[in-house]
Amino acid sequence: MGVVHGEEMVLNIGPQHPATHGVLRLQVRTDGEVVSEVTPYLGYLHRCFEKHCENVTYEQVIPFTDRCDYLASMTNNFGYVVAMEDLMDIKVNERVEHIRVIMAELQRIASHLLGLGAFGLDIGAFTPFLHMLRDRERILDLFEMTCGARLLYNYMWVGGLSHDLPVGFVESTYRFLDYFEPKIDEFVNLLVHNKIFVERTADVGRLPQDVAISYGVSGPNLRASGQKWDLRKDDPYSIYDRFEFDIPVGEGGKGSVGDCWDRFYVRVLEMKESIKILRQALSSLPKEGDVYQSLPKKIRPPIGSIYKRTESPRGDLGYYIESDGTNIPYRLKMRSPAFTALSVIDEIAAGWLLSDVLAILGSLDIVLGEIDR
Amino acid sequence: MSTDQDKLIAELVEKGLTGDMESINSIEDRVLRSKAKAALAKAKRAAKSQETADPQKKKSEEKSSDDFSSSVNLNERIENMINEKFPGSLVNKNTETHIQLKPDQWFDIATWLKSESSLSFDSLQCQTGIDVGDNILEARYNFHSMKHKHYTEIRIAVPRQEATIPSVEQIWRIADWFERETYDMLGIEFSGHRDLRRILLPDDWEGWPLRKDYQVQETYHGIVVPKMKEGWE
Repeated sequence: MGVVHGEEMVLNIGPQHPATHGVLRLQVRTDGEVVSEVTPYLGYLHRCFEKHCENVTYEQVIPFTDRCDYLASMTNNFGYVVAMEDLMDIKVNERVEHIRVIMAELQRIASHLLGLGAFGLDIGAFTPFLHMLRDRERILDLFEMTCGARLLYNYMWVGGLSHDLPVGFVESTYRFLDYFEPKIDEFVNLLVHNKIFVERTADVGRLPQDVAISYGVSGPNLRASGQKWDLRKDDPYSIYDRFEFDIPVGEGGKGSVGDCWDRFYVRVLEMKESIKILRQALSSLPKEGDVYQSLPKKIRPPIGSIYKRTESPRGDLGYYIESDGTNIPYRLKMRSPAFTALSVIDEIAAGWLLSDVLAILGSLDIVLGEIDR
Repeated sequence: MSTDQDKLIAELVEKGLTGDMESINSIEDRVLRSKAKAALAKAKRAAKSQETADPQKKKSEEKSSDDFSSSVNLNERIENMINEKFPGSLVNKNTETHIQLKPDQWFDIATWLKSESSLSFDSLQCQTGIDVGDNILEARYNFHSMKHKHYTEIRIAVPRQEATIPSVEQIWRIADWFERETYDMLGIEFSGHRDLRRILLPDDWEGWPLRKDYQVQETYHGIVVPKMKEGWE
């Protein structure tokens, strides 16, 4: 059968469009309904994060990191404080390390839940979204219990935490895990093996491994392409080297390796791994330990620079910090995983139908707050 | 009058530093007394930091060489290899944390960094631009190898007047957007980049925001641009 050529058309998706997960404009060149080129236009949510950082003190940067990836504020805090502690040579006590890991893994589950739900929503599955938000709500309750905030926490500080765990947190978290673990199978039944969902995602938007690496794609998107790469294992920070967990990689369960379905399924499996880490961290959480113990009186890192990467739910989150010895960063660059993930869209979306572009975009799980900063 | 007060405080601080706290404590005026005490504390801290600055610096250096012992050796190895293959492109050797290069041969060196099998830096992790002062802009590249799991940082400094660095966008595709961002924020031109436009700011924005002497434009399409605050009040 020959290819039918229609009239070429340029179509703008966004900047105000539910499928773009924020304010993003995709300029799509289509030939009939087949997409030949996707050009993203960014910057609608640019809030001058890096310029602001050069005008505030190091501790005042933390609330800004919250607002970059507003769906994974804990891990954004985490990356920044780990980088600062490395730069300043601060060691925090065991309890702080454990609490940080617990928070980061809860955040990972919460972020994946929203990412997966919104992905389903993008391609027309409304019900799973509600199920996932219902369970994400329980995690937000845990966060609210800890630090009073539900979305932007400012919880991790350089050298410590803003609050110790409240009474009953550990029990509540265990209760949540016991409740949530069987729910994952429910999601699997709702979406992963759902015929319509599989038809829409399997084999669609395949991202080969070498292309993914060249485009700097990281995190679950890279792992779905078959590359076993997780900073928690490969460049362990904090106390991640103590926990036993696996790195799920895409195996092309329904189609081929690196397709949209793989990117979805890797995230589902990652939630299971996070539960494993959470159970270990909760059981080894030391009862004693002051969370303010190693807070520095003044944050004045020595002259020098550091590039520190941590594993956020979206991938390698890097902070490049250049210090000139004062209490204000000389230059602070955030290497955002969603930024690199979005850059690959033209490469993998070309040749697919317009409706598939939205599926591909959803599978990359981007957050515009982090892309535009 | 305030100069008199300053002189008095300076005298008192000098006395305090030698251990004579009596003269400060005996001041009648409460404001003056607290001012003198604050000045004394500041002077003591300054003296202390001067004492500890050197050992601290040494300590942090030791630490970094400990932590990145493999990367230090790696940097040395890469430097030697570059010196052999691309003579004259290395700027002062023996920097522990990074490799400093001249921009001229950067594209060839970058191609080699990726293809050389003992290095195979297949992942460009981060690309940053910094205004280091003295009319110098610097581009910094953080590389990582998925195969060997090693890591290095490369810095290329260029003068502001001719801030042009060869683009590596065709070697690592992510450099496309990274370089666009650096161009957007610092105005470093990447020669050979196929699509060098601003990425986060609008195309008709004026100036390079992350240069240290950046002045915000007054209006943008009739909209008044709010001025940056100096510090945090």
